[in-house]
Amino acid sequence: MSAIDVYEPFNRGLPPLKKYAKQLFGRRAFIAEFAKSELRRQNFGSPLGQIWLVLNPLLLSAVYFLLIIIISGQTDSARYAHLTAGLFAFYMITNSITAGAKSVTAGGRLILNSAFPRIMLPIAASVVELFKFIPTLIVLFAIHIILGLPITFALFWAIPLIFIFYIFSLACAILFSCINVYFRDIQNLLPYLTRTLLYLSPVLYESSALTEKLSILKTINPLYPMLDSWSRVMVKGELPFAADVFQSLIWTLALLAISSYLFLSREREFAVRI
Amino acid sequence: MSSLSASNLNSHNRGEVAVSIKNLNVVYKTTLEKRPTLKNRLLQFSSGKKQTRIVNAVQDFNLEVSYGSVLGVVGANGAGKSTLMRSISGILPPTTGRIELYGSVSTLLALGVGFSQEMTGRDNVILGGLAAGLSRADINNKFDEIVDFAELREVIDAPMRTYSSGMYARLAFAVAVTVEPDILIIDEALSTGDAHFKMKSLNRVKELRGHNRALILVSHALATIEEVCNEVIWLNKGKLIQKGDPVSVVAAYKKFLEVGSSPMIDEDV
Repeated sequence: MSAIDVYEPFNRGLPPLKKYAKQLFGRRAFIAEFAKSELRRQNFGSPLGQIWLVLNPLLLSAVYFLLIIIISGQTDSARYAHLTAGLFAFYMITNSITAGAKSVTAGGRLILNSAFPRIMLPIAASVVELFKFIPTLIVLFAIHIILGLPITFALFWAIPLIFIFYIFSLACAILFSCINVYFRDIQNLLPYLTRTLLYLSPVLYESSALTEKLSILKTINPLYPMLDSWSRVMVKGELPFAADVFQSLIWTLALLAISSYLFLSREREFAVRI
Repeated sequence: MSSLSASNLNSHNRGEVAVSIKNLNVVYKTTLEKRPTLKNRLLQFSSGKKQTRIVNAVQDFNLEVSYGSVLGVVGANGAGKSTLMRSISGILPPTTGRIELYGSVSTLLALGVGFSQEMTGRDNVILGGLAAGLSRADINNKFDEIVDFAELREVIDAPMRTYSSGMYARLAFAVAVTVEPDILIIDEALSTGDAHFKMKSLNRVKELRGHNRALILVSHALATIEEVCNEVIWLNKGKLIQKGDPVSVVAAYKKFLEVGSSPMIDEDV
């Protein structure tokens, strides 16, 4: 009779990756069910909850637009579309970081009681944020039409860009979920981190407004090329720069590789650290 | 009361190996503080104080558990009982050694089932089951049986933060035993709930034993250990001190608790 399950020491601190990936794929129903339960818990299952899902970022963009009008006096419609598109995408990423950070520590009982690939907790948290982002796309397209912005084939670039946004969000969720196990006060720092990222990204301003002196931001801020490409596609209806897409992909894949390695090499300890 | 349906059970012969543990050592690093923070880490770093400790929780441990038996595990706090159970369940893999499981495992190690206090009992049962590797169809088939066994039908759609600790424990126990595991591992869970549920839980354990399941039961309730177990192991500071029939091991353990030492432990030191 052969053993159904064998537990042996991890090789170089990592679980057996083939078995891990198989178990993760086998538990994909958990991720879908978690997203549904979480959205229901946050009342997004009801019509009023869905309205709030769209209304919340719209109100936020209105507040920031007011700020732009006061500071720069600009009131053109393209500026509003740029701001709204950028904020919606930016908040999907930062909400994913915040939800991901809590995902492992919040799953304490489950972690103490069951053997399963722990990485599915931050994955599930980031999927919830993706589900919350998708309805805002309808609003973005409505704004696009109402403001008479150009409708071109370049708009199809939104699909690969959303995919890059999601993978980047996932990588951030994995990274911060692991850090939060070791430093529980990291959540207190997240609002400062996300606010700083907002100011360093082309959301409240357009990339063309950036002075030469600050152009280093385009290189050091991973969100910069992503959000700039997003604005070109969603507001101007133009193709993104190939270099920006390439840079976004490199940032995303590098962060995913680093955060996944960090998480997998640490997850054995989670059961005794929570 | 629900009962195990023999037609749904995988067949195992009494005496067949269910769990095999060879040369197991479990070592882990943990923090000295309950809630580690970056602030404290920086403060401790600047003061040069030690921030973590290495725990040799299980040392050079060998064991076989057979189908049709209930293995009791006794030992004082910090003996390594919970770590051993987590290793067998795959939650905390070995540092060295090998654990082989010859059947599906269900665990009841941390009191309370599931994921989130804010979610309903129903959502927690479903999420806990999916995380443990059950299919949605398996959970749906067993859901009514779980709710009926836990006697929580009226509150199953209420958030679990509204549950009492007894209700929490009942739901956890019901999930663990209703999924028809080949191997069931229970850590300190039979002593929860009211007298009626304790009796019901104990009967379910005996029923599983009768169906040639393998059970591992960690408990400080020595009378329960003597009543339901075929074999008992006594752990102390991560080491196996004694293994044998329940009466003799429990008697030796009781003596150790009374006098604080034992010839076997002294010899080992």
